[in-house]
Amino acid sequence: MSASVALAAAGCDGPEEHGHPLHARARGTEQEAASYASVLDLEGLGRGVLVRTRGGHAVKIEGNPQHPASLGATDIFAEAAVLSLHDPERSQRIRHDGAPQMPRQLNAALAAARDALPPDGAGLRLLTGPLASPTLARLIGEVLNLYPGARWHRCDPLADDAALDGSLAAFGRPVAVLPDLARARAVLCLGADPLGPGPAQLRQARDWSVARRNGRAAGALPHLFVAEASPSLTGARADRRIPLHPAEAESFARAVAATLGVPGLASSGSHAAAAGVAEALRSAGQAGLVLAGRGQSPAVHALAHAMNHTLGAAGTALRLTAPPMARPERMTASLAALVADMVAGQVTHLLILGSNPVQEAPAALGFADALRRVGVTLHAGLWFDETAQRCHWHVPLRHPLEAWGDSRAFDGTPAIRQPVTRPLVEVAYEEASLLSALLGTPLTARAAVTATWRDVWGEESFESRWAEALETGTAGGPAPAIAPPLDPGWDRPGRPPSTGLTAIFAPDPGLREDAQNAWLQEMPRPMTGIAWGNAALFDPQTAERLALSPGDEVELILDGRRVLAACWPTPGQAPGCVTLPLGGGRAAAGAVGSERGFDANLLRPADGAWLAGGLEVRPTGRRAALVATAPPHRPDGSGAVPRLRAGEELPPITPQASLHPSWPQPGRAWAMVIDVDACIGCNACAVACQAENNVPVVGPAELARGRGMHWLRIDRHDHPQAPAASFQPVPCMHCEKAPCEPVCPVNATVHDNEGLNVMVHARCIGTRTCSNNCPYKVRRFNWNDHRPSLDTARRNVEVPLRPRGVMEKCTYCSHRISAARSAAAVEGRALRDGEIETACQRACPTQAITFGDLNADDSAVAAQRRDGRSYALLEHLGTRPRTTYLAPVVPGDTT
Amino acid sequence: MSTSTAPVVAAALRPGGWGFGVGILLSLAGVAVLGAAIAALLVLGVGVWGNNIPFVWGFDLIAYAWWIGIANAASLFAAVLVLRRHNLRTAVNRFAEAVALAAVLAAALYPILHLGRPWLFYWTIPYPATTGLWPQFGSPLVWDFWGIMAHVVVTSLFWFIGLIPDLATLRDRAATQGRRRLARAYGLAALGWRGSVVHWHRHQAAYRLVAALVLPLLLSAQTVVALEFAATLVPAWHEARLPVHLVVTGLPAGLGVVLAMAAVLRRALSLERIIDAVDMDLLARLLACAALASGAAYVHELVNGLLIADGAPREAFLARISGAGALSYWGAVVLGALLPQVLWRRDLRMKDWVVIPVGMLAAAGVWLDRWSLLVGGLLRDHLPVHAVPYVPTPAEWALLGGSAALFALVLLLFGRVIPVVAMFEIRHEETEAQALEEQR
Repeated sequence: MSASVALAAAGCDGPEEHGHPLHARARGTEQEAASYASVLDLEGLGRGVLVRTRGGHAVKIEGNPQHPASLGATDIFAEAAVLSLHDPERSQRIRHDGAPQMPRQLNAALAAARDALPPDGAGLRLLTGPLASPTLARLIGEVLNLYPGARWHRCDPLADDAALDGSLAAFGRPVAVLPDLARARAVLCLGADPLGPGPAQLRQARDWSVARRNGRAAGALPHLFVAEASPSLTGARADRRIPLHPAEAESFARAVAATLGVPGLASSGSHAAAAGVAEALRSAGQAGLVLAGRGQSPAVHALAHAMNHTLGAAGTALRLTAPPMARPERMTASLAALVADMVAGQVTHLLILGSNPVQEAPAALGFADALRRVGVTLHAGLWFDETAQRCHWHVPLRHPLEAWGDSRAFDGTPAIRQPVTRPLVEVAYEEASLLSALLGTPLTARAAVTATWRDVWGEESFESRWAEALETGTAGGPAPAIAPPLDPGWDRPGRPPSTGLTAIFAPDPGLREDAQNAWLQEMPRPMTGIAWGNAALFDPQTAERLALSPGDEVELILDGRRVLAACWPTPGQAPGCVTLPLGGGRAAAGAVGSERGFDANLLRPADGAWLAGGLEVRPTGRRAALVATAPPHRPDGSGAVPRLRAGEELPPITPQASLHPSWPQPGRAWAMVIDVDACIGCNACAVACQAENNVPVVGPAELARGRGMHWLRIDRHDHPQAPAASFQPVPCMHCEKAPCEPVCPVNATVHDNEGLNVMVHARCIGTRTCSNNCPYKVRRFNWNDHRPSLDTARRNVEVPLRPRGVMEKCTYCSHRISAARSAAAVEGRALRDGEIETACQRACPTQAITFGDLNADDSAVAAQRRDGRSYALLEHLGTRPRTTYLAPVVPGDTT
Repeated sequence: MSTSTAPVVAAALRPGGWGFGVGILLSLAGVAVLGAAIAALLVLGVGVWGNNIPFVWGFDLIAYAWWIGIANAASLFAAVLVLRRHNLRTAVNRFAEAVALAAVLAAALYPILHLGRPWLFYWTIPYPATTGLWPQFGSPLVWDFWGIMAHVVVTSLFWFIGLIPDLATLRDRAATQGRRRLARAYGLAALGWRGSVVHWHRHQAAYRLVAALVLPLLLSAQTVVALEFAATLVPAWHEARLPVHLVVTGLPAGLGVVLAMAAVLRRALSLERIIDAVDMDLLARLLACAALASGAAYVHELVNGLLIADGAPREAFLARISGAGALSYWGAVVLGALLPQVLWRRDLRMKDWVVIPVGMLAAAGVWLDRWSLLVGGLLRDHLPVHAVPYVPTPAEWALLGGSAALFALVLLLFGRVIPVVAMFEIRHEETEAQALEEQR
């Protein structure tokens, strides 16, 4: 395993070559450590990031506070991008039929291919992933102008074509719905997961937490209703979660719409829960909001639009804009048309840019077979993946952190992507330069991007705006709001619902295209606890009927297509449906990503549908290789998370009597407060901690043995009443009466003068007795030597690597405390409250984590300690933890 | 010189028999496995074991507590005999001392080997280091270091002092047989013993002194092991009764092993006349008695865990005695406390085919008790942290089997090169008997 997760940076890249990737002024005083604004895409849409570099190497991703899709936070995919950048298994060579080639051989082949094209370019096809990049869109447009016979197709396995159809039905044009959860007072999610992973997650989660904070202060919390089939992060935090079979979704939405008095309703529906939800929406009025998500029919999307229209939500709870994506179209139809043309022999040249259709398209579509009928195929991508292996030519692409580009956020805000490190793969190409080569005017990507924005901004203001865009990380404002009228004939009832067991295809909450990323693979999925793979999520009743227990292997059969998968009974799953996460079971994703779980694409219908009825399940009687870090259902039997009604207060945290002497704390007393009410369980803090603190990846075998190394784990506690789950991040508590300290025979874990419980790795002899005595079980032991896999260019040099046989744990990012203290000393001032941000705190999209000096009465952390929701974990043990929590507030009567 | 000690000496000096050779070979092979297991442990680290978080300890500390229990019971038995000048001591005391020493040696492996960085074990010793750091004297693990060191030293002394007169006898026998080198080796170990009245006087004083030292040490050694658990916050471990529990429930293991070994040795080395039926009878009753005490400890544990304790400790105890933990807990009760009760029947306890399995199973029962405490005790913690069950790996089985082989090898070598029962005591008894007859 260690070899596979090794990040061996290319040995030829000495640090001296890495010193000058600078295109914008560095943020930070030191030249050694600086950070640069850039943007990373998820599902084609950008989230602004600041990339921290050390000696020219990108070592850590943080959120860009000035970017609307980040607001300073990061998600797991952004955090993990820095690991993919340094992945030693990235494609390193140009290949022709698998054999390495020189760039000049590629150029010759491309020139020959261009000469072979007819003048109108008929037979030339471009295939990309979803993209919102203005520059790439411009270049593709120019290619299509130059070759009128050429076509541009897209492969986006996560595209929601029904949303496009729904907006076409409602408004006659594609629109993007931008919810403003900070202003919404009642939200109904019809399968939508605004708090779940996605390009708008960070912004929506922040808005949601702001609304809750304001609501708590005002004594009136906003309402959140979620009607969904499979448990999501939003559903876990909903005031009321309605498990809903997809077949019932339209009827439920119609019932709500009818109660709201939506005009133009073609037919009515019924559902027991509809009246209460509708009443809450109606009383919220303009602050009411209905969101339809992936997997819903076009009719449900149209219903959501109509309900929002009736509520008058536009301008308050939501904003409608033109979609940020370049040239919106039905993605599945786009790909199906390409395959049909390929089969018909109409495609002679296929250029696949940064997409992996062989893997990502439904296997039933037959893309891989059709590919053999194309004369010249060229794949450009980060990895020599399934598609690359089947194309004639493969060209390594630069990682987004190495390449120039631009992007749009979910709200349309453009941003320039600047390289923050020199390319780690020498021969790697940029997408823009490949496209411009096709135009016959080879340009660097930088030239292509500047040309785009020179056009947008005009010649005279270009230089200043360009410099500003690079420094701030945004290149303009969000897309303007539009107010399209509702089409009177908006309601076109959908097809009758399918019968039998329904397969629901869904994006894996922890994986996108980065199956090669070991941090993502090892991070337990929040609602299942599964890592290093996936499982088919069954509702408990169906699992019981089939006598399936967690981890049993089943054969799933859909229209004759078969796949073997692990079964995972999931509380909250709507009866009669099985959720199949996409993105697993890869064949060519390197040692890290290959053969992890099953590939749901083998079952997915050729039209890329999100739902399919008539799923058959046959238990094989075997056990599947499944790594689960927690059981499916985790009731909070021990009352670890107290839950309050609005206005209720907990008794203040009072120190228990202790036989151990109290140490004086005259100076600073570092402490952390985690707001469980704000935590959405997104795992960003845990990945940020892993990146910041050089926390090793142990691999599936060791993780299955209970040897995971994450310093910060997130405990989910399930409750019978709403919200269905509480997420409680558990780092080291830094107890004032730390039980780990007196039992260590060699004084390897001790207190420092600011109250940090510090672990002296060099002194540790590995008795592990400290872990025995830690009631929070936050200590991690180096059962094996992980240093070889960590000692790479990616490593954060400010945090030491730990040898085999010693304990380690959360340090409250003590190196950041030291750095801030030094900076303050250099500037001759006192430390400011909030100046020190731990990595987990920095990443958190909902700002659930606060860190600071408990001794300073005016500090944020001291104020939160005084909050009536404040509680300490296992307070009765008398450990006096410095990490305390704020209890979640349960909704009032929402039935 | 009395003729009654001749078989004992003959056992020590005659060439090894067929069974002895096989035994030595088997235990040597086992010790080779032990060596390989230790080498693998040092090269690859404790990751070769099945431990995880929260089960940071497993076979290592189970075996440690178990071997200590065996050593304790055997030493306790021998020391009580010395101090009470019981007749039985003449037959089995040397042998019990040897069992104790071999068990302490086996036990002493674990506190060092279980460390993440075993080569730094000496950091638990208060020595004047350049770092200026002392050990953390509040840690039960430091107490444990002193406990095991004292145990090794005192047990070795006890055994060695008792051996001196017999080593001199062996020296003399070897010399009369003309085996000069062997005589010299025994002579060195006999420390120049000449059998003078002054020597005898000092010997008896030293012997009783060390025997008196053994008694508190036995309590302290087990107690310190127990404190490693009792001093933590783990709900199933944080019990004031734990030291007493470990001392009391440890006795059947040691007595069971002594009993089984005595039955095997008297048959294999033809010592029936010296370790006679009365000795075996008494030893078997002692085991039954210890098991009864052990049973009382379990009753107390059940009353304490089910009726007195509440909250987390009660839940943790319930998890220990039911579900995944039930097999080890009730196995310990049955094997360690209930099964030896059959020895109250005289017809059963006089049969080798009964006492050997009962003795060994009693030892296995105590092993299960330690498993139930270390592994079962962690099944329920304060927080519902998902714990992956602890599954020992082949490396751990190799270490356990290897340490048993080391134990067997030490015992076999004792039986081969030194008198397996105290010759001088047998002579002493004979002389006393003669004197009594003469008086009549």
